[in-house]
Amino acid sequence: MKDMVKLGGLLMLITVIAATALAAVYKVTKPRILEQKRLVLERALLLALPGADKTAIVPVKKGDQILYYKGYANPDTTKFVGYAFVAHGPGYSSVIETMVGVDSTGKIIGLKVMSQTETPGLGSRVEQIKHGAKTPWFQDQFRNRKAEKLAVDKDGGEIQSITGATISSRALTKSIVAGYKLLKKEISQN
Amino acid sequence: MSAIKEFTKGLYSQNPVFKQALGLCPTLAVSNSVQNGIGMGLAATFVLISSNVLVSLIRKAVPAKIRIPIYIVIIASFVTVVDLSMAGFFPGLHKALGIFVPLIVVNCIILGRAEAFAGKNSVGLSFLDGLGMGLGFTMALLILGTIRELLGNGSFFGIPVAGASFEPMLIMILPPGAFLTIGFVMAFFKWLENRKASHA
Repeated sequence: MKDMVKLGGLLMLITVIAATALAAVYKVTKPRILEQKRLVLERALLLALPGADKTAIVPVKKGDQILYYKGYANPDTTKFVGYAFVAHGPGYSSVIETMVGVDSTGKIIGLKVMSQTETPGLGSRVEQIKHGAKTPWFQDQFRNRKAEKLAVDKDGGEIQSITGATISSRALTKSIVAGYKLLKKEISQN
Repeated sequence: MSAIKEFTKGLYSQNPVFKQALGLCPTLAVSNSVQNGIGMGLAATFVLISSNVLVSLIRKAVPAKIRIPIYIVIIASFVTVVDLSMAGFFPGLHKALGIFVPLIVVNCIILGRAEAFAGKNSVGLSFLDGLGMGLGFTMALLILGTIRELLGNGSFFGIPVAGASFEPMLIMILPPGAFLTIGFVMAFFKWLENRKASHA
């Protein structure tokens, strides 16, 4: 019995030391990790809202939740560029998250897939940039189209799906339409 | 064994992947590209060296009955340090390796060396053992990663090297390609070994 108390006590001592050391490392790395997350978001917003000033992208919140963003071309928020929202939808093997920017007429002005873990070489080609190009060809198709009426070719639309990745292509397309419909609802409620 | 031998055994004669067949799960999963392989290899080497040194330092004070939970707490703590540091300073690599960073905790190589070596040897030798095994692991990932990325993506470290007309064999960067590659490489090393033995 005394043996168990001694062993248990030693284990507890070790885990307390480990926990304290980890708490310290967590505290030191936390600001950098938050900064990285902020940078990813900022990069996505700037790609979704081309021409927007990075200090003039305003989140519209409900309580603590960010519903969408409004982007302006100048810091005094007088020249409106468009709205940005995060579209997410279940793909083949992951949730695909895309930052989408639309102007006031509902036309897509920019987008950036922020996260996906679709099948490498197939669904992951939603982010594929061809030799010599600057942006992913699949996502480029969405630019200048109305966000409300998007569909892949297999569903009678104009978006060319990726060969062998119908599900991923369709999921991304549908998520943008759904995200836009939600955006319209939220704007009218403000 | 001399000190130098403790270091070099991990590189070839007791290579954790090709000779001891340890840590195969992360090896297969992250050897799909050279960059992922090197990133994982270095992260695991850091954890291996740190845990080997610490386990060796406290080896006289650790009661044998609870040595495994103690080793695991030590390993998990170092892995968490690596995970947080990667998220803060190498976010691209962190995103690419994903869940396999926390899985370093259950990488058999690390607990294996702690139990088989660091718990019974001096700090200096344990450091060399960890360094050798870690670099051996990294080299294995580098060899597999090079083959798989070259054949499956036509690139090396992300740089396209195969020319525009090369049609990559997608299967090489998917799980079946991992098994195929490791099988062939292991067979190759066995063949080398057999040749050396028959020539001796």
